[in-house]
Amino acid sequence: MIGYAVRRLLGAIPTLFILLTLAFALIRTAPGGPFDLEKQLPPEIEANLQAKYHLDEPLYQQYGRYLWDVARFDFGPSFQYRDLTVNQLIADGFPVSLRLGAFSLLFALMFGVPAGLMAAFRQNRPTDYGLMTLAMLGISIPNFVLAPLLILLMAVYNDWLPAGGLGSPLHYVIPVIALGTAMMAYVARLTRGAMIEVLRSNYVRTARAKGLPTRVILFRHALPAALTPVVSFMGPAAAGIITGSVVIETIFGIPGLGRFFVQGALNRDYTLVMGVVLFYGMLIIVFNLLVDLLYAWLDPRVAYK
Amino acid sequence: MRILFKICLPVWLLALAAACSAPDDFPVKVEPEILDDGATTVLRRGNGAEPETLDPHRAQSVGASNILRDLYEGLISKAPDGELEPGGAESWTISDDRRVYTFKLRQNALWSNGEPVTARDYVYGLRRSVDPLTGSAYAQILAPVVNAGDIIAGDKDPQSLGVEAVDDYTLRITLNQPTPYFLGLLTHSSTYPLYEPVVQAHPSNFTQPAHAVTNGAYRMSEWVVASHIRVVRNPSYWDDLNTGVDQVVYLPITDVASELKRYQAGELDWTAAVPVPQLDRVRYQVPDQLQTVPWLGVYYYGLNVTRPPFRDSPKLRRALSMAIDREIICERITRGGETPAYSWVPPAVSDYEPPQADYAGWARERRLDQARTLYREAGYGPDNPLTLELRYNTSESHKKLASVVANMWRVNLGVKVTLINEEWKVFLQNVRQRQVTQVYRAGWIGDYDDPQTFLSLLHSDFGLNGTGFSNDRYDELLDTAARTPAGEKRRALMQQAEALLLEAQPVIPVYFYTSKTLLKPYVKGFVGNPMGHYYSKDLSIEWGGRDELPGAELPDDAS
Repeated sequence: MIGYAVRRLLGAIPTLFILLTLAFALIRTAPGGPFDLEKQLPPEIEANLQAKYHLDEPLYQQYGRYLWDVARFDFGPSFQYRDLTVNQLIADGFPVSLRLGAFSLLFALMFGVPAGLMAAFRQNRPTDYGLMTLAMLGISIPNFVLAPLLILLMAVYNDWLPAGGLGSPLHYVIPVIALGTAMMAYVARLTRGAMIEVLRSNYVRTARAKGLPTRVILFRHALPAALTPVVSFMGPAAAGIITGSVVIETIFGIPGLGRFFVQGALNRDYTLVMGVVLFYGMLIIVFNLLVDLLYAWLDPRVAYK
Repeated sequence: MRILFKICLPVWLLALAAACSAPDDFPVKVEPEILDDGATTVLRRGNGAEPETLDPHRAQSVGASNILRDLYEGLISKAPDGELEPGGAESWTISDDRRVYTFKLRQNALWSNGEPVTARDYVYGLRRSVDPLTGSAYAQILAPVVNAGDIIAGDKDPQSLGVEAVDDYTLRITLNQPTPYFLGLLTHSSTYPLYEPVVQAHPSNFTQPAHAVTNGAYRMSEWVVASHIRVVRNPSYWDDLNTGVDQVVYLPITDVASELKRYQAGELDWTAAVPVPQLDRVRYQVPDQLQTVPWLGVYYYGLNVTRPPFRDSPKLRRALSMAIDREIICERITRGGETPAYSWVPPAVSDYEPPQADYAGWARERRLDQARTLYREAGYGPDNPLTLELRYNTSESHKKLASVVANMWRVNLGVKVTLINEEWKVFLQNVRQRQVTQVYRAGWIGDYDDPQTFLSLLHSDFGLNGTGFSNDRYDELLDTAARTPAGEKRRALMQQAEALLLEAQPVIPVYFYTSKTLLKPYVKGFVGNPMGHYYSKDLSIEWGGRDELPGAELPDDAS
């Protein structure tokens, strides 16, 4: 299994290389540059800045320089946040996004999986319908609607929780709910669907016929199989959620990674965008690998050599 | 399951109720942040976008400038009402030919590490500001100083800049030619002094709290990117006794709706803006907290005069300008106390009376009649309508205004307008290239309190002139004005230039900006000024506890 993991990670290098090249090409084809501002810079000064950031060199040279830097894990200075490097920005922003994302994932799983199981056990009964209606609502209400509503309710009209920023654990409550609700609803629906299917399968019937207690059938035999689709959904979703959400970060003023993605692109902050893209790419690869390894653990039929 | 249902449903219902009912009350928690010691006051300011840098010579944004004004002090400072007052310089003399300024520095001015602020620190700062290696976007502010232009262009050594430390506390600055607004320029962050040893030791991060050495009323304490910046009172500041607020926390909040909610929830004392859709509620519910101040800025539509249809057709340009009902725009669309723009320079500029367009006082019918006449004379009519593209950068408010203006042109003249929104950088590039752009929305905020900062935008030598307007007479009037000492003669020259501009109409001014912010009633000492330049030291927080505010609206359960 370790050999498999190492092979997968080595195989990711060409993928990352292609990702980087595409990102470089795309951001450089976008019109305008990092120093195009409303108050246009005098030409001499723009030339000075271009030279300072090596933007006056031919593209292939800049590309080569960038690849060389990235190979040494140096993502370069940010164009927008002049006092900081991209490495610093990622190092500062990622832990925040990670914490928020992890809590949201936990929230989604803690409520989503039990709700899905309950709905599956009570299939086509009021409990099922009620839960699935709520889940549908959760999926359909976008977080940019949910978040302001929650703030109004819990911070403005009532003085229960802070409206934004990050400091105490209380600051996490509203953002976690806003970020995790849709995922929770999705997890609930996935769990329900998978569980219903598993409960009808032959091996569960066999287990019943053997006279095993329901508890054992459900939690030892049925649950692992029912969680497979949830796990495959969680891999990329986790990578997405822990790299930050632009919407949630903007609404709550949270210093995470997600905003850098969008702001970086809008500001043509070349190094920041590419740094974040690359970082995100690496995370997705790692998470997909983790998911595949989890499969093997959940499903005895899957084995990696 | 039952339990889940019981928990979820009320939450959803409450949320829906909060969304649907839109209650008339507007709760605002009025309570300042005072640290645990019971005496240290904290001012929490919404500050727009995250500052790009706190290097005074490289900063560009409003947000960064707000913080830099608190951290550093230039030779000249500003009183709360915007009037110039002595800053790091105690006094100054101006030579008879008005080219040599000699500043006497305060002997009691200290850096936050206790070292004295000397003339050498200013010399170092000014040279660094124009040094091409610094890459300052605002180096042009110093263009009036001898050799500054050549240094910026890389043709001369920064050492040759016309500044000189005569002794520790005497600084001499020599200008190329008399510049009446020069003292005002010295309030800009690109003229601030820097403490050389720390910049040399930490060239890329001397702005960080661990290293920063400042000479203003505050010093750096914390900087968490995209979360907050905290500055604390600088006990070494020469006027520390009069610093009102002990700490300032700047919160980078770009979303104005979120900012308002955090203000209401008691997490902010002063917002950077007020969302336009909420203006009516704010005005009705908490009128005493809304601060509306005229701002030195003009919202306008630029016309590309280098290409048809606007090339050589001042009549058409005037017709389009006259066909806009500016009063309606200010009353119904912008709604924040903005004033209709019938001149190019905002009336809030000190010591200047902008000439008005001739149609400013006309009745609506007369104005529209004249617009139609000009439109016909320019060769257009019902059978041959003008088709136009109006470009604006993606934003709800620009879109709204563009569609209103397009409709006025369509109804009043019969012009066919296509609205095109463009992403910011695309928009800027198109304006600059003057190829596809015909009409574009723009705004211009004055860099200093003088008509020059507005009029020079359309000088043919000026790089930012997106319209391509070029008029020898206009350039000559401005050049002469720049050499003329402040007074009646200079005023007249600039008025002539502006009148010429309004006649030629390469730009269509629409309205003059106001700044709209919310300020908690316990923050005292706020006086609006048209540049929007405020020093936190001039404010104070006066709070005797909640009982002092019988009239203030508190949330029901706040206790």
